[in-house]
Amino acid sequence: MIEVEHLTKQYGPKTAVDDVSFVVRPGSVTGFLGPNGAGKSTTMRMIMGLDRPTSGRATVNGRPYTSFRDPLRQVGALLEAKAVHSGRSAWNHLLSLAATHGIPKARVHEVIEMTGLESVARKRVGGFSLGMGQRLGIAAALLGDPKTLILDEPVNGLDPDGVVWVRQLARRMAADGRTVFLSSHLMSEMAQTADRVVVLGRGRVLADAPISEFVAAGGQQGGSRVVVRAPTPDLLFRAVGSAASAITPREDGSFLVVGPDAPTIGRIAAQTGAELHELTPTGASLEEAYMSLTRDDVEYRSEGVR
Amino acid sequence: MTATTHRAAAPTNVGLSFPRLVRSEWIKVRSIRSTWWCYAVLVVVTIGMAVLLGGYAGDGSDMPQDAMNGQLVSVNTAAVSLAALVVGVLGVLIITGEYGTGQIRSTFTADPGRTGAVLAKAAVLAATTFVVSVVATWIGVAASAALQAASGIHADLTDPAVFLPLLGASVYTTLLALLAFGIGLLVRSSAGGIAITLGILLVLPIILSIVGSLLEAQWVMDLMQFLPSQAGGQLYTYAYDGASSAQDGLVLDGWGGFAVLLAEVVVVGALALTVARTRDV
Repeated sequence: MIEVEHLTKQYGPKTAVDDVSFVVRPGSVTGFLGPNGAGKSTTMRMIMGLDRPTSGRATVNGRPYTSFRDPLRQVGALLEAKAVHSGRSAWNHLLSLAATHGIPKARVHEVIEMTGLESVARKRVGGFSLGMGQRLGIAAALLGDPKTLILDEPVNGLDPDGVVWVRQLARRMAADGRTVFLSSHLMSEMAQTADRVVVLGRGRVLADAPISEFVAAGGQQGGSRVVVRAPTPDLLFRAVGSAASAITPREDGSFLVVGPDAPTIGRIAAQTGAELHELTPTGASLEEAYMSLTRDDVEYRSEGVR
Repeated sequence: MTATTHRAAAPTNVGLSFPRLVRSEWIKVRSIRSTWWCYAVLVVVTIGMAVLLGGYAGDGSDMPQDAMNGQLVSVNTAAVSLAALVVGVLGVLIITGEYGTGQIRSTFTADPGRTGAVLAKAAVLAATTFVVSVVATWIGVAASAALQAASGIHADLTDPAVFLPLLGASVYTTLLALLAFGIGLLVRSSAGGIAITLGILLVLPIILSIVGSLLEAQWVMDLMQFLPSQAGGQLYTYAYDGASSAQDGLVLDGWGGFAVLLAEVVVVGALALTVARTRDV
């Protein structure tokens, strides 16, 4: 259980985390989403007692993290890859962490085996790839067999095998009754892993909901969603104009239009004489729900600044 | 990657304790190459200097006992100021290396109270430095005493005026490592910490002595006696009756120098710890 109450962190005039409150419950996986700089890592560091909140508080399993006599058994955290002296081997790093709590050597062997680090355990961490550093960070998080797991971008730099492994690990820990809180920028990954999501944008909580609710809510936001393919997009979209709240280019050359429904866009195309190659009404994916949510936030914020 | 999260049942007495933190810091100290390099240099410099100077001993046939004692002490403490630079760098690096690499976040995640981890690291640094210095010094003493004996010089090692400064050399080296550790903890940067430490050891005495002689101000000269290198220098100086009257103004003896340096270490360390406990990492 992680409880965050009115957590705020200011760096000079900049507010990195702005009155953030949420609860992460045991027995489920909670995803922590948000664009870069949204304040996810800062929030996680405050939960772990590494950064001091300007105001508000965070507790884990009912108490501030700094008050535990067995912190590594309470929470396992991966906050960044390679929070490790580059001159030390993975084995010695894990052994030194285990020693602080009297965790036996056998457990060190176990987490090395679990994270697939056997072949590099005696090598200096400085030479590790991002993925290896990530595995070492996860190994360190698992050392104390913790009740709560906090992972910041755990699949960053992992190969597909590793991504699946992290997903299974998170699900299994949650099924075990533990609290699992992980951040990611990979929305598709969240859809497969998380039960709930907390979305952060510019330091504020934008959404805190079960993942299905979140996707449904995102789909309704701003009206219909239509995939449009047109050889002369400029001509078409000038005519669509302000009827659309957003027109986003997609990787395959088509556009996602949010606002007017497919018949409306078809009518506009016929009136302007713009050729249409595709006109597909579409539901929202988690990614799109997330994009529309954070885009709204960005627009709101820039208006606020003006 | 295998599919199980935990197989062996976790033991029930898992948790933080100061002895465990010391054990952890000991693992960390011995698993970094720079530690080994610094201590190797310390040993080589200490023993090398003793052997080198011991071999150049003069003729002891008409030398008074005081002079023989003084020669053994000076031969075996000649390398101390050099050793001090080495442990100064080590003391800084041992903590700034953690800040520079991000290791400090792992350290403070394991001990979020922070005080225990910092004190454990200081304890390991002090104990290791003291043991290495004592061993190196007394190997040097044995070697140089043997070389001097060949020239008829026989120092009296049972005389406190002889063995206290030889022990004092190791105490000084250890306190200096701790002072550098405090400075490193305060500034968090390797380059900054080393610059400040070496500045205090090498540059400050020169500046103060220039200023003191330009202004002809005795108080500047007195102030200089409180610098770590000057106060600490009294810890390994062979003092015999009447020797200190040669100098004007304030003069610290061995115990006075020890007290001053110890106080400096405690003040810098306490300040650094207070700041480190509340600072974001």
